[in-house]
Amino acid sequence: MSQPPTRVELLQGTLDLLILRTLLQGPTHGHAIAKHIQQTSQDLLQVETGSLYPALHRLEAKGWIAASWELSDKGKRARFYRLTPAGRRQLAAEQSKWDAFSRAMGLVLKPADQEGQ
Amino acid sequence: MNPFFRKLRWLVERRNKEAELREELQFHLDEEAEQRQAEGVARQQARWAARRELGNLALVAENTRATWGWTLLEQLGQDLRFAFRTMATNRLFTALAVASLALGIGANTAIYSFMDAILLRSLPVADPQSLVVLNWHVKAGVPRGEEGQGRNFVMHGMSGSTWGDDQSGTTSNIFPYPAYELFRKNDAVFSLAFARYPSWQVRRLNLAVKGLAGIATGEYVSGDFFRGLAVAPAAGRLILPDDDRPGAPAVAVVSYGFSQRRFGGAANAAGQPVLIDNLPFTVVGVTPPEFFGVDPASAPDVYLPMHTNEPMGAAHQFGFRSERYLDRNYYWVEVMGRLRPGVSLAQAQAVLAPAFQQWVATTAANDRERAHLPALVVKEGAGGLDSLRRRYSQPLYVLMAMVGLILALACANVANLLLARAAARRREMALRLSVGAGRLRIVRQLLTESVLLAALGGALGVAFALWGMRFLTLLLANGRANFTLHAELNWHVLGVAAALSLLTGILFGLAPALEATRVDILPALKAARAGGPGARRAFRQVSLSRILVVSQIAISLLLLVAAGLFVRTLSNLESIQLGFNRENVLLFQLDARKAGHKDPEIADFYGGLRTRFSAIAGVRHASLSEDSLIQAGTGLPISLPGAPPGNGELLLNVGPAFFQTMQIPILAGRDFEERDRPGSPAVAVINKAFAQANFGDRNPLGQHLTLWEDDRPARDMEIVGVAGNARYGSLTRDVPPLVYMPYNQGYPHPDQMVYALRTSGDPLRYVNPVREIVRQADPRVPVSEVRTQAADIDQTIAQEITFAGLCSGFAILALAIACVGLYGTVAYNVARRTGEIGIRMAVGAQRGRLVWMVLREVLILAAVGLAISVPAALAASKLVGSFLFGLKPNDPATMAMAMATLLAAALLAGYLPARKASRIDPMIALRHE
Repeated sequence: MSQPPTRVELLQGTLDLLILRTLLQGPTHGHAIAKHIQQTSQDLLQVETGSLYPALHRLEAKGWIAASWELSDKGKRARFYRLTPAGRRQLAAEQSKWDAFSRAMGLVLKPADQEGQ
Repeated sequence: MNPFFRKLRWLVERRNKEAELREELQFHLDEEAEQRQAEGVARQQARWAARRELGNLALVAENTRATWGWTLLEQLGQDLRFAFRTMATNRLFTALAVASLALGIGANTAIYSFMDAILLRSLPVADPQSLVVLNWHVKAGVPRGEEGQGRNFVMHGMSGSTWGDDQSGTTSNIFPYPAYELFRKNDAVFSLAFARYPSWQVRRLNLAVKGLAGIATGEYVSGDFFRGLAVAPAAGRLILPDDDRPGAPAVAVVSYGFSQRRFGGAANAAGQPVLIDNLPFTVVGVTPPEFFGVDPASAPDVYLPMHTNEPMGAAHQFGFRSERYLDRNYYWVEVMGRLRPGVSLAQAQAVLAPAFQQWVATTAANDRERAHLPALVVKEGAGGLDSLRRRYSQPLYVLMAMVGLILALACANVANLLLARAAARRREMALRLSVGAGRLRIVRQLLTESVLLAALGGALGVAFALWGMRFLTLLLANGRANFTLHAELNWHVLGVAAALSLLTGILFGLAPALEATRVDILPALKAARAGGPGARRAFRQVSLSRILVVSQIAISLLLLVAAGLFVRTLSNLESIQLGFNRENVLLFQLDARKAGHKDPEIADFYGGLRTRFSAIAGVRHASLSEDSLIQAGTGLPISLPGAPPGNGELLLNVGPAFFQTMQIPILAGRDFEERDRPGSPAVAVINKAFAQANFGDRNPLGQHLTLWEDDRPARDMEIVGVAGNARYGSLTRDVPPLVYMPYNQGYPHPDQMVYALRTSGDPLRYVNPVREIVRQADPRVPVSEVRTQAADIDQTIAQEITFAGLCSGFAILALAIACVGLYGTVAYNVARRTGEIGIRMAVGAQRGRLVWMVLREVLILAAVGLAISVPAALAASKLVGSFLFGLKPNDPATMAMAMATLLAAALLAGYLPARKASRIDPMIALRHE
């Protein structure tokens, strides 16, 4: 796998959103979450393992995700995380906040593009 | 699930959770490694890469754990475990620290519980905040109302009390009845104004239930009293306005406790007919258990409607007269009110004061009275009347200051012990700092230790306080059975104890903790033991501990001076020349009139009893008087023949053999005898002071005195004896000129009588035969106020006895604590200087010189402490000046004694380590380095 030329640093607080979004597709374990984020962002986003697990446990403490031990596709015991109803609501809220934010950033940073449309 | 409970569950399943986290991270590593292997990396390298990518595994685990939300709690748990271990290994230190803190916190808690009970507690009624008490105040310069004969003041007569002094003027809570009606009409301010009258006549009632007589305390209350206080009955009904009018059926309300004692329960009491002072009443109801009236100093057993004082007073020669309801210059009712919702104290004052001002001006008879009109003061009434606060607030503040000082001493002591230990733990601290412990974290851990110490001290202190409260209640009650003040360990007091523990824990822990962590790591690690190089730091530690010792010495001196002053006051009081012999005298009181005895039979009844008491085996003499000498205080107009009646001379009505029984010397003439009886020539005995004041050098024997009743001569008495001066009415006031008269020779007719029996051996042994004789004579007459003459006197100096006892205890405690602190500091310094002392001895220093070297340090500390505290003691002792008798606050002997005691104790505390220093073997000391 080729290394992308530049990597994007995760913005503060966006990791939670990414985890919640990833879990929307179904329950999975920590390693798969990290890989999924990396792949779907075309390797632009690299999740630091050092912050992934504290984030997962923090979300669990908040009640947005729940964990249980299940077997991975390779047949090994793994801690699977899934979205809770509260997590779904949180994701929707965070998502719309993020959308508004990125639209606003886009408007400020690239006014020409917007006008051009 | 609520996030809080989720975290709580995690806390419980902590070990499980740790294992799960390890497994989760391991799975991640395996997964990562497998993936890399699949991409073609060698197995071993794939593993390393996975580890590299994850970073510091321990840190990841740590950070994850942090999100579980109980890091702080867990660290607290670690700190506590560590603190317990440290305490367990230093048992002596722990015991000393906890004990001194327990004493300090316990003493504070006990005294505070009394402050809570006396100064802060509200009446147990609905919405106490809206209650007010009415007072009046008149500026200094007006003669007291009681001697209103000169008519300088609108109060021409009174029944109640006034208080104050020459500087602050006079204050009182009694008003004429018309003034009460004026307040009652003011419904803009009051939703209800109500009154009470704790007349002397009902303070001790004879109350007979089904023929069984007993003593009860009572007070008169207005018809609105219970409605105004919003008190609901425990049984029956309470007094209503309709009960409080002339001619209404006589009803009474009894307290819950009294209903239990005398009727066997509240339900049984309601509806019962009773005899009160031989008048028929019906008990209509019972007050609730927690209700004690409005005066915390007295809890009446019986409440009577105000207007029943007319029939009650009519039965008594000095009883209440119904004209007084109309008299605008006779002050007697105590007024309280409940403010309308929304009316503030200030608004009430603003409305009522001018109204009262206007009214009272119309009662003035002359210009002098008009110039000194009393002004109305509306005070908050949530706590009821302030009689207890007036009596005890000043002593309580003094005691509070003392126990505060003790607690400060204890804190200083523990801080000192902690400092010494911090020095011993410097290597430990340096080690911990060097392996990366945060200073804040270590300070937190040390503080946990000290707060834990304080908490243990606090818990033990509360137990100590319970004991102290019981002891204090005993001291304050001083034998009085109806003592109403009950301090208790409520959440209020416990809260204060807990806050004190926490505060002291932080207070004495913080400085040593900061000191302990301010370590230069390298030298501390290199030094073999405490001491050694790093002298600058060591010096600072020592000086902090020296400051603590100096302040302990200073505080101890303050307490020693206080103890000295109070003990000398007590010994002055106890060595007062009484003029009679207080030992082996039994006193008790009978009131035959309240049981229905009438003139002239009552005098025979009393006389017959005296004869029977004298016949008890072991009773050497028996006599009677209207009051005990120390508690007496009766004045009636008595004059020399031809002179007009004066303001009133003090007198005492007594029975035969009174002077013989009390062992008051007869200087001339004779004692009263059986032959002085109704119908025989009226006689009198005067005391020496009366003889000197009225007859000078002339012989008073055979002279005559005239006793006046309402401006008519009532008795013409021949003086048949002159007695030595015996204390009358007070232990400390000068003996006043006094006339003794037989109780049975006409006006004033006898009411209650106090019998005095001079006994062989313990007077209290004779109580049972006395009760038996009285029961046989008339079971309707209860025997009350049984006490020895010595106890009767002690009761008047109860406060001084309490103070002397408590302060001596406090001072001994303080001295002990300070000595322990001093000993600890000196011993530590000696240990630190072992090497130096060894060298000195090796080069030939003599033992005496070494002892002196150590003692000199002690003396310097003591001298500095004294230099600070002597001026402080001189200033502070002025605050207790009003508690002293027979000496001045700056009494030099007391001061000298306190200083000498302190120096002696300090030298003793210093000598032990000094002697140890002089016994040091130089060889061992030198090797020790």
